[in-house]
Amino acid sequence: MEKKIVSVGYGSVNSIQIGDKLPLVYVGGPCAIESKDHAFKMAEMIGDICRRVGIEYIYKSCYDKDCRSSPTSFHGCGIDDGLRILSDVRNEFGVPVVSDFSDPAWAEATGEVCDLVQVPAYLCRQTSILKAAAKTRKPILLKKGQFMSPWNMKNSVRKIEAAGNHQIILADRGTFFGYNMLVNDMTCFPIMAYTGYPVCFDASHSIQLPTSMGNISGGQREFIPHLVRSAVANGINLLFMETHDNPDKAFSDANTVLDIKYLENILSQAKRVHEVRLELLEKYGEDNVHPQK
Amino acid sequence: MLVKDVMMNLDSFPVILETVIFKEALEEMNNKKLGIACIVNQEKSLKGIITDGDIRRKLLKIQKPLSAFFVDDCIDHAILSPIVANADFTLETAVEIMRNKQIWDLPVVDNDNKLVGLLHLHPVVEALIKKQ
Repeated sequence: MEKKIVSVGYGSVNSIQIGDKLPLVYVGGPCAIESKDHAFKMAEMIGDICRRVGIEYIYKSCYDKDCRSSPTSFHGCGIDDGLRILSDVRNEFGVPVVSDFSDPAWAEATGEVCDLVQVPAYLCRQTSILKAAAKTRKPILLKKGQFMSPWNMKNSVRKIEAAGNHQIILADRGTFFGYNMLVNDMTCFPIMAYTGYPVCFDASHSIQLPTSMGNISGGQREFIPHLVRSAVANGINLLFMETHDNPDKAFSDANTVLDIKYLENILSQAKRVHEVRLELLEKYGEDNVHPQK
Repeated sequence: MLVKDVMMNLDSFPVILETVIFKEALEEMNNKKLGIACIVNQEKSLKGIITDGDIRRKLLKIQKPLSAFFVDDCIDHAILSPIVANADFTLETAVEIMRNKQIWDLPVVDNDNKLVGLLHLHPVVEALIKKQ
């Protein structure tokens, strides 16, 4: 199986290569775009931390949160303002940006601005969304649905490929374990990596307790460091972790977003675990326990 | 009488691309009512075969869920160096190969390993009986 490298970043921003034995890359930011000032503040804080840690990063924030549990929850700043702010972040900080989109009609505009377009987990098998994402010609961050097996993600990959796009990153954000509960099956990384595409761990949403609090989701963010170390040791190429300077006041996912005061510690560990894994592979060779045939 | 006189042509037995998922390979074997599928690349070069016997052995051996098995590429579970015949072999030679290897089907390839047909035992038996 040929391992593919995905390149994120066009034009004047930093171009980042993701996959195979390349350095671990971080993608993060506040779940929802709150304001231009806040986006700039977060981008600057994250950028400073990533420079100190020595890790490349992609700025992530969404303009429309269509999967909120409650009709009264913050839905997002909207596509026009949101993409303008993301474009400003790109220009000001020279960093690639990513947002998801929940409607095929939003794909083209999202792809014009964003360096990476994200397919939400709940929509990961919707043909119209996948086709629209493919047609942006931008790399695609494809989240595994909480209801999907990792092997069935190949069907979604094939839909994107059939529409002409071969730049895909597959992400795990947990799998439903009964109601209101997610678990991470660490075998999903090698299974999804068997497609040849890079794999990503979404630490923020993996510790979510979906709609566990009546009309909003809860979360156990104390488990983020544990799961991050496990996933990185398991061979991920991209680490997704939403972060906020004031989680209690976050407009979206307040119970799962990581307080930015913890970010440097976790990223430092993740980077080191990734390096150690590569050192071990170099020293002892690639995994050689093959499936029964 | 030669293999090319009796072999089935490409549209009458299961011929599938290597990236077709395993479940669709099984369906094609059902559609064509044969216990073998020949796996080819875009240029029609023979890459491997799947047979009923291989599938039985896989089901007993493979430990992963059936849903994961179904979505694998068929080439992942194929016999990659199958026994083949040439179209200019005599039927007697082909039957001898089948007897020695205890198989009922022989993919037929040209000198460039391109798949050109399939020799199935039943039409061979009919042809040899008629010949007598």
